[in-house]
Amino acid sequence: MPGLLSSPVCLTVIWFLSWSLRPIRAQIQPDEVSGVRYAPLQSNVTLACRKSQIRTPVVWHHNNSAVLPWHKLTSDGTLVLLHVDLSTQGNYSCYDNGGLLLHSVKLRLGHRPGSLSISCRLPNHMRVRCSWVESVKTFLPAQYNAILWIESGRESKTCVVDVAQKHCDIDHPSYWSSSQTLSVQETNALGSETTYVRLPFDKLLKPNPPRSVLVTAIEGYPKKLNISWELPSSWLLHEAFPLLFHIRYRPQGSLYWSEVFSEQSPVVIFDALAGYVHQVQICARDEVNNESMWSDWTAVTLGMPWEEPAEVFLPEDPFHEDFFPSLTTMETSTTKTDDSLSPEDEGNVGLVILLVLFSVVILTTVLSLIFVVWVRQRRRNHVTKQELSSMLKMKSMPI
Amino acid sequence: MKLLLDSSSSLLFSLLLAHLPVFTSATPVPPRRPTDMDKLSNQTKNLMKLTQELLREHAFDSDVEPHRFRSLPEMSNRSANDLTNLELKPTLSQLHADLKLYEHHFEWLNRVSKKHHHPALPKLVEMIREMKSLSNLLHRQMLRVEAPRLTQATPSLPPHLPYQFDVLQSSHELLQHFKLFCDWAYRAFLILKPKVSAVQ
Repeated sequence: MPGLLSSPVCLTVIWFLSWSLRPIRAQIQPDEVSGVRYAPLQSNVTLACRKSQIRTPVVWHHNNSAVLPWHKLTSDGTLVLLHVDLSTQGNYSCYDNGGLLLHSVKLRLGHRPGSLSISCRLPNHMRVRCSWVESVKTFLPAQYNAILWIESGRESKTCVVDVAQKHCDIDHPSYWSSSQTLSVQETNALGSETTYVRLPFDKLLKPNPPRSVLVTAIEGYPKKLNISWELPSSWLLHEAFPLLFHIRYRPQGSLYWSEVFSEQSPVVIFDALAGYVHQVQICARDEVNNESMWSDWTAVTLGMPWEEPAEVFLPEDPFHEDFFPSLTTMETSTTKTDDSLSPEDEGNVGLVILLVLFSVVILTTVLSLIFVVWVRQRRRNHVTKQELSSMLKMKSMPI
Repeated sequence: MKLLLDSSSSLLFSLLLAHLPVFTSATPVPPRRPTDMDKLSNQTKNLMKLTQELLREHAFDSDVEPHRFRSLPEMSNRSANDLTNLELKPTLSQLHADLKLYEHHFEWLNRVSKKHHHPALPKLVEMIREMKSLSNLLHRQMLRVEAPRLTQATPSLPPHLPYQFDVLQSSHELLQHFKLFCDWAYRAFLILKPKVSAVQ
C-alpha cells in the first residue's frame, strides 16, 4: 500500500483531486462564500476578505470584474466601499496572489423601512381589506406582520397578509366596536418599523359596484326606460343590510345627468328623451349609515326607449355637446317635435278632460249659489215692500 | 217661489252628491299605518342622525381614546352573523336595557355639560328626549310580546371632569359608541319586524 501511494500515477491523481477540489472547499463555507451582506445606501460598507489579519496582498473582483466602485483597500485586504449606491450592489470576491478564492459575498443595498401609508376598506360588514404603500422605497425584501387591536388592545385579530400584493384581510371584524387600530410592522434586513392607523369601520364601509345593469325599453312608452341591476356579489344578502342605489342617466352626448335614488331594482324613469340612446350608471351605499362610502360607478350601460317601428330615426352623428344646454330644454324640444299621440299623451288628454269637467262642476255650483242668494234677496225685498205697503195702509186707516 | 228654492237647493245637493265619487277617486290611497316596529326603526334612525350631527358639530376626533366609560353596552362582541340570527324577546329586552344604560350616561353628560356651558346642550337635551321616547315605545312593544325587562346595570360614571377638554372627550366617546349602537339597533329592528308580526 505505501508503494502504491508513492507511485507517480497515484501522486498525480491525488494532486489533481486536491487542486480541483480547492474552490469547492471554499464555496461550502456558508458565512464566507455564499452569504448575503445587507447595508444601507449612501453609507460606507466594509467587506473583510478573511477573518485573520494576515497582511498578504489580495485582489477584489466585483461581478467577476476587476473594476471596483469608489473604494479603498486596507493593508489587511479589507475592501471599504465608499458612499455606496445601487450600482455598487453585486457579488464581491477576494482572491489571494495565486488566484485562490478566499471570500465571496453578495452585497445588497437599501434602506430600513419607513412608515407605511395604510388604507382600509370594508366591502361588507364581515370583511376588512387593508393595503399599504411604503413611504420609503427600501429596495430590499420585506416581511409584514399586521394585527387589528380592538378597544385599546382588549382584543386582537391577525390580519392575514399577502406580501406580494401588500395587503391584508380580516374576516369577521367587530364592526360595531368603537375603537379599532391596525398595526402593520414592516421588517427587512436593515430594521423594522411599525405603523398604526385608526379604523373607523363605519366610515370605511364601501360596497363594490352593482352588477348586471340592464337598460331596457318599455313597449308603448317612448319616454320610459326600465333600469335593473343585481346587488354587488360581495355584499351580504340579508335584510339587515339594505343598500341605497344612486342611478344617473343622460342621453348620449349630453353633459348633464339626471338622477334618482332607489332601495331596490328595477327603477322606471319617465323622462327619457324619446328616440335617443341613454347612458346609465349606478352606484351603491349602505342604506343605514349615511356616513359610509358610495361604491364606484358601474361602467356605462346603454339603452334606448321604445319607439314605433315606422318612425325609427337614428342620427348617424350623435349630437354635439353644445346641443344640450340643459336636460329641461331637451325635454321641451322633444315634446314640441313629437306629433304622434302616444299612450302617455292619451293619458294627458284624459286628465285635461277631467279638469274641464271639474271646472264645469265648480262653475255650476258657484252659479247655483249666486242664483239662490239672488232669489232669497228678491224674496226678502218683496216681503219688505209688502210690509211697507201694509204699514202705509194701516196708517191711512181712520182710527 | 218656496217650491223653486227648495227644488234648486235639492238640485244643487244632488249635483254635489253625484260628483262625490269623482272627488273621492281623485284623493290618493292613504298610506299603510306605521306599526310600532316601524316607529322604533324610524326613531332609531332619527337618533342616529342626531348623534352624527352632534359629532360633526361639537365633538372632536382625537387620536387618544380615553375609555372613561367602562359600563357602556358591549359592542365589540356583536358580529354581522349574530344579526342574522336574532331572537325576538331576548333582543328586545337587551336593546331596552342597553338604551336605558345610554340614557343614564347621556343624562350624566348633560349635567356635566351644563356646568361647562357646552354649546351642544340644546341638541343633547333633544337627544335625551328622543331616547326616552324610544325606550318607552320599546317597553310597550316588550309588554305586547311578553319580553322580560332585564335588571338594570349600574353605570359607572366618572366622578368629576375638571376641564372643558374632558367634557369634549367624554362626549365624543359617548356619541361615537351610541352612533354604532343605533346602527346595530336599527338593523335589529329591521330583522325583528316580521317576527313581531308573526307573534301578534
